[in-house]
Amino acid sequence: MLPQDISRVLLIEDSNEAAEFLASLFKTPCGSAFQIARHATNLEEGLAAVETEFYEIILLDTTLPEGGWLHTLPDLRRAAPQSAVLVMGEADDEELKILALREGAQDYLGKGGLDSRVFLRAVRCAVERCHALQTLLKEHEMFRALLDYLPDRIYFKDRQSRFIRVNPSMAQFFRLEKPEQLIGQTDFDFFTEEHARPAFEDEQKIMTQGRPIESRIEKETLPDGRIGWASTTKMPLRDRRGAIVGTFGISHDITLIKEMEDALSAERTLLRNVINHLPDPIYFKDRQGRYQLDNQAHVQFIGKKSAQEIIGKTVFDFFPTEVAEHFHAADEVILNSGVALLNHEEVATDAAGNRRWLLTTKVPLRDDKDKIIGLVCIGRDITDQKEAEEKLVEANANLRHTLNELKSAHEELHSVQLQLIEAEKMKTIGRLAAGVAHEVKNPLAIIMMGIAYLRDQKPPLGEQIISVLGDMSDATKRADNVIRGLLDFSVPKRLEASEESLNQVVEESLHLVRGEVDVSKHEIRKSLAPDLPPIKFDRTKIGQVLINLFTNSLQAMPEGGMLSVSTKLDQITGVGANIGDARSESFRAGDEIATVIVEDSGPGIPSDKLPKIFDPFFTTKPTGKGTGLGLTVARSIMDLHGGLIQITNRPEGGTRAILTFRV
Amino acid sequence: MQRRILIIDDEPGFTRLIKLTLEGTGKFLVREENNGLKALQAAQEFKPDIIFLDIVMPEMDGGDVAKEIKTDPALSSVPLIFLTAIASKKEEEEGKHINGYPFIAKPVSLETIVHCVDTHVGLN
Repeated sequence: MLPQDISRVLLIEDSNEAAEFLASLFKTPCGSAFQIARHATNLEEGLAAVETEFYEIILLDTTLPEGGWLHTLPDLRRAAPQSAVLVMGEADDEELKILALREGAQDYLGKGGLDSRVFLRAVRCAVERCHALQTLLKEHEMFRALLDYLPDRIYFKDRQSRFIRVNPSMAQFFRLEKPEQLIGQTDFDFFTEEHARPAFEDEQKIMTQGRPIESRIEKETLPDGRIGWASTTKMPLRDRRGAIVGTFGISHDITLIKEMEDALSAERTLLRNVINHLPDPIYFKDRQGRYQLDNQAHVQFIGKKSAQEIIGKTVFDFFPTEVAEHFHAADEVILNSGVALLNHEEVATDAAGNRRWLLTTKVPLRDDKDKIIGLVCIGRDITDQKEAEEKLVEANANLRHTLNELKSAHEELHSVQLQLIEAEKMKTIGRLAAGVAHEVKNPLAIIMMGIAYLRDQKPPLGEQIISVLGDMSDATKRADNVIRGLLDFSVPKRLEASEESLNQVVEESLHLVRGEVDVSKHEIRKSLAPDLPPIKFDRTKIGQVLINLFTNSLQAMPEGGMLSVSTKLDQITGVGANIGDARSESFRAGDEIATVIVEDSGPGIPSDKLPKIFDPFFTTKPTGKGTGLGLTVARSIMDLHGGLIQITNRPEGGTRAILTFRV
Repeated sequence: MQRRILIIDDEPGFTRLIKLTLEGTGKFLVREENNGLKALQAAQEFKPDIIFLDIVMPEMDGGDVAKEIKTDPALSSVPLIFLTAIASKKEEEEGKHINGYPFIAKPVSLETIVHCVDTHVGLN
């Protein structure tokens, strides 16, 4: 037999004789399992012994000198709670046995008449009982720990649902100091009827059906107004025969959790509502591109009635393959790179087949380990803005175009206006002139005829009279010239224009003024461009202008000088560039023009007189020479041709006149 | 034989001088008429070889007178010349016509009128 199988015995016996006797009881084959490991002669020694070592069995003598064994027993029990104590008395005594047992001993034996077999049997039984007790005690301790320290409320009830046992948590819940204060009371004593009644009924049902209620969530309303939530499990309480004698239960307070849950749920509902009510389509796709979450706007965009029809599916289920592949590829880029795509403009076709512009933001969604688990996408339909934008750009371009057209129309109008004003002026003057001319011409005719008649008298009148008649004749001729000039002015405003050679008219006009030319004094220079194309103009009238210009130049050089005339084909380099005149607005850059330039080496025109040269009746010539209408008429004629006449002084002296014709 | 000239013009001073000047040459017989309304009657009575007609006249203007005269078949072949202040010498030189009739411009010289008569009537 191994040493550990041997049960160690402590003998607390002051009588050696008794000790020897007891020792002898072990000296049998059955007793080999036991060994008196120690013999203490008094209690103190005995206590010291159990302090240091463990003894399975302690034999305690009743007649120790310290005092009655009854007093020592509790000390011993405390010191060696796991040892089986047998009290050895003088004789077998029923009363003492009961006492000993009550005090915690396993047995009480009378030393007298004790044979080994009975003794050993008692010892073995004692040990067994002790073990059993230890086990029970351990169980009990654990049970107590459970009950006392669990925050959950634990209770046991009888068939009438009266508390028979509760734990401290329960007492605390009811604001009571000790669990014992609940004993005999029911739920009705602590809860309102609202909670107590259903609870009672539950318990009755449990007891009737023998089935538990597990993890039921109950609302507890206490009389003081407190409301709490608990998860309760109640079971039938059975005795050892299996009969139901009551119920027991455990309530786990979930008030806090419930409140948190409610708050969370409210928040989630709010969030869900917000997402759902946003007008922008919002959806979430997992790593494989399957839709996991959709808001109402997205559902509508896809053309379905509910999110259920979309969740779990991919773009390939809703868009043509080509389009879906494009979307998928774009998603992959974001998922792989982890870089969000923000405010990206793209075109998509919605369920109705319409082309929509979207502003899309796609952000990779990460889990708490920072791994990408999907995409959150928000789209905004900007079709209206885009279309408005396009319309705006178009409208703007149109506006700009219209503006340009308006500008040039305005320019044209302005120049036409100027021309019209001039024409109107001319017309008025013309009409006036015609009226005056007529009214004056008739009297003039009479006077002139009268003078002629008188001059032709036979016999002729006296020399003096003839001389006076001569003066009268000159005067009427002058008046007639003025009238003629005026009438030319009022010439009907119709051109007889045809394609003519400007050079030819120049030559003809030069020829016509040969009477004014003194070849010994005047040098005539001609430089006519050979490449001048035929131009539409009224030959007679332009001839009139040229004659006027030549005459003016020649009359300005009575002592002699140079008269030059040249023709040239040219091009306008810019508005106002070639022509510095208010009328130049009608000439535009690039216009082809033909010019006739008439220059002389005379004294030129005094600069203070230059602005007036085109005014009717203005002349720098001496009285009698010229009517002052020549240039006025010339300008009128040039205006009718849509051309220009400009007169300036030459830097080297003399005058320069430029006629500009459109080609 | 003297040629017969009818001069229609609202200006008596003018017509008187024309008559004086032309009849002074001895080659012409001149009838004056100062009222356009009476022109047709005068022409019918006088039976001129040539008619000189002013245009701007108060009672009836020259254009209408010309039309009226020409409705008379007896007068249709009589040359009709406008003698007017509203045309210019230049236009006269250019040989322009007014309403299809030749004209001469005032103020007019004796030579011009004689030349015109010679041209249109011929020397009898």
